[in-house]
Amino acid sequence: MSTIHRGLTVSVVVEEEKLGQVNALLTEFNQHAKVNHADYRANMPSTYFISWLTLPAQEYAERMVLPPRILLMTSYVGRKKQHISELVHFLGLRLQAVFELSKPGSSRLSSMEDMMAFVNEHTVFQAFYSGFKFIPTEDIRREQEIRSEVYGFLDKQRSVPAFATQSPSEIKKTIEDFVSNQGAFAWATEGLKEIKRDKLRMLLPLGIFLLVMAASILCLLLSFFINSPILSGIGLVFPAFILILALLFVWLRINENNPHIPNEPVSDDWIREIIEREKNPVLNEMTVIAPLKKGLIRRIFLGLSLRLITLVGYFSYIPTVHTARWLQLDGGRRLVFIANFDNISEAYAHDFVDSDNRSRNMAVVFSHAAGFPATKWLVKRGYNHRSEYMKGVRAHQKITQFWYAFNTELSVENLKNNRKFREGLFRDMDEKEIREWLLTI
Amino acid sequence: MTLELNDMQGLLIRGFGNLPSAQYVLLRFSDFTGGKQYLRELLPAITPATDKPDEQAVQVALTYAGFSFLQLPAEGLASFSREFREGMTESHRQFILGDNGENAPDNWAWGNPAHDEIHLLLIIYAKDESTLAEKLAVEKNRAESYGVLELHTLPTGLLQDHKEHFGFRDDISRPIIEELVDNVEKKPGVTFPAGEFIMGYKNLYDEYAPAPSIPSSKDVLNVLPVSADLPDRKDFGKNGTYLVYRQMEQDVFGFWEYLKGASKDNSEAVSLASKMVGRWPDGSPLTLTPEKPDPSLSTANGFGFWNEDKAGLKCPIGAHIRRTNPRDHLVTERTQKDSLEMAAKHRMLRKGRPYGTPVSERLVPEEILGLPRDDEKRGLHFLCLVTDIRRQFEFVQNNWVNFHKFGGLDQDADPIIGNHYKSDIVVSDEFSIPAYPVKRKLKNLPNFTTIKGGGYFFFPGLRALHYLANHE
Repeated sequence: MSTIHRGLTVSVVVEEEKLGQVNALLTEFNQHAKVNHADYRANMPSTYFISWLTLPAQEYAERMVLPPRILLMTSYVGRKKQHISELVHFLGLRLQAVFELSKPGSSRLSSMEDMMAFVNEHTVFQAFYSGFKFIPTEDIRREQEIRSEVYGFLDKQRSVPAFATQSPSEIKKTIEDFVSNQGAFAWATEGLKEIKRDKLRMLLPLGIFLLVMAASILCLLLSFFINSPILSGIGLVFPAFILILALLFVWLRINENNPHIPNEPVSDDWIREIIEREKNPVLNEMTVIAPLKKGLIRRIFLGLSLRLITLVGYFSYIPTVHTARWLQLDGGRRLVFIANFDNISEAYAHDFVDSDNRSRNMAVVFSHAAGFPATKWLVKRGYNHRSEYMKGVRAHQKITQFWYAFNTELSVENLKNNRKFREGLFRDMDEKEIREWLLTI
Repeated sequence: MTLELNDMQGLLIRGFGNLPSAQYVLLRFSDFTGGKQYLRELLPAITPATDKPDEQAVQVALTYAGFSFLQLPAEGLASFSREFREGMTESHRQFILGDNGENAPDNWAWGNPAHDEIHLLLIIYAKDESTLAEKLAVEKNRAESYGVLELHTLPTGLLQDHKEHFGFRDDISRPIIEELVDNVEKKPGVTFPAGEFIMGYKNLYDEYAPAPSIPSSKDVLNVLPVSADLPDRKDFGKNGTYLVYRQMEQDVFGFWEYLKGASKDNSEAVSLASKMVGRWPDGSPLTLTPEKPDPSLSTANGFGFWNEDKAGLKCPIGAHIRRTNPRDHLVTERTQKDSLEMAAKHRMLRKGRPYGTPVSERLVPEEILGLPRDDEKRGLHFLCLVTDIRRQFEFVQNNWVNFHKFGGLDQDADPIIGNHYKSDIVVSDEFSIPAYPVKRKLKNLPNFTTIKGGGYFFFPGLRALHYLANHE
């Protein structure tokens, strides 16, 4: 089974007058998910997060109304088909009740197959980020449990006089013996076989891209010495890519000269309504949906940026974020950003603006959205960038009517730490490495 | 940019350490006209930043309710930050600050608007107690004659060797305002542009700190400067800032009794307490001297964690000084540079003072451990000055002090000032001490500090006070 953490986004248009009805249903389902959280966990074992919300009509570039939509955004581990099947089988009636409202006339989603086909049909591309890439949901609980049990075991050893004088490898051996003797932890002795394969799978698109570029450069060089139309053709790929990028940058720069239109300030009551939902003790969710600034180049550039983000997804890092995704809707005219993160959004938003590097990276995506601060050459930020960015986030933040999280107790660092502990079990390490590994307990 | 010291109250640039006696007086206006007359009369008595008094000093700050009572124009009131307008006891602010359970405003002695609405904070410093008593009498008479009601008078008392009541040297790490130092060598995390703490100047984002302002047409007497960001408005915030006030009661005996219970002897109790604080009682940092205190380092502040102690084997990740100022190492960051940048954006200018009789004069922990419990109330009047309450004070309180997952920890709030509790979904009463071969966890920490009062104030510049006292 793949352990890559992926996102699924389903988007459908809904009539304005049905929004209230959909919202009422989602609010009711949200309550149901809270009360029956254990059932959700048991019946949707591949599912990490679900955000399900409606999006009102929004104005684009002062000339077009973007339609209201229903968005279903999940993240999962495993096969996409299996995940959709799981969603449809467990949430079937609820999915049906909501999505039928998006359909014209009296057409019905009468069977599970209809529903699965519907979900597949309305899936859209997204750039997806996960703070923990290869951890299936079942590992969340058991990796926490094994670390906790081992800590309890070692804590008891503290009273043994010779314990603290043992070498790191002796301590590691003691731990591994303890784990091996616990039947419940047999799974931990088997190692993490799938990870290498999944890492390669994640890196494959980037590898192919780099390979194509490298091949093109090589062919370009060879074409100076060997007269071959094939070599010349392939050799043009790289320069063409660079040229297109350069032209797009120039086009964007021209667009950046458009006067900046700031967001209308949002009311205190709206902010209170949003932050009132962020009172979960460990992790919370945020959805920001904004129309883009006017100009075709914005749509093209954002689309290109999101694909590049996907390409380098394996290496990207956003602190305290469990998952984040960016996508474009309505012919690229709308940007959707959704994140599940540790603690509250007021703290989380600072992760983006307090570091110079990250603020620049965020500008690559958010500078295309209406009301977000203007840039020059995409990354050069202007005066008041931080304030305008924070205002932009609040101005376009939406209420997520339905939110489900498989894990509600562990932070990203907790998850990564538990995984580091497990990875070290039964693995050869030198004394220094073991000392560092012991700190994960 | 030169600071306009003649328009600032003195507390912005000094702590009046040469005036060891002080009281904080909380007041309420009862009459609009009287309130303005009172301010007009009080204004000449306020100590500006250009003065370095050696007898006495008076400083003043107002709450949102105070500005509202004195009818600052509606546009001006609306331009204050939301958290200031809402006040410290609003339900979401309570959530952010962790003011629940024992710390809930219902248990406060002051600051809960449901019981008494505070408009004004008067801070009076003096060279000795008799001068303070005289000055207090003068100020109380002045207030009474204009119908300004005295709600609470809160005494303070500096302790020996700059200590706080638990017996640790306090207030060592102070941000340096670059504009106050000639030929300053800028150091991230150590020196700060004035705008981090004083409105009207650029901050770390190279922006002017968001400040309250009023339409130019409402400044008939042309008292206020033009807003740097909004040319059609006057800057009411310039040379002022927000003042956060928290009265924190310290359970000194509870603190040392807990540590005694977790230790085999007094020496270990002091070591554990030092692990919780991150410094030894004399102030020397564990990061620089992990095995024993070193008096020569008692004011040492030039250290970081990234190179010296990433894993927290010397100073635990969850130690108080590491949570309130992570310096150059945030566990969630991948580079020292990012950590430094992130941590620097959340600093405060602390100006508070302790209150209550110390358990012993010298406040030596080994002595405290042998003392019988008394019923004396003692603690800290925590005051800090910030231009952005949410980004600076609330962020630290929420994300670093009280978030039990800070730095990859499991169930640890700040061991000294965190809110320790267990509920169905949260446990925050543990403290982890990384060690070889396995960390030590202290469990069931009670609250060693509890909040007894608090409020958000605005500490205005002198022109803003003049405007407030004279506006139509």
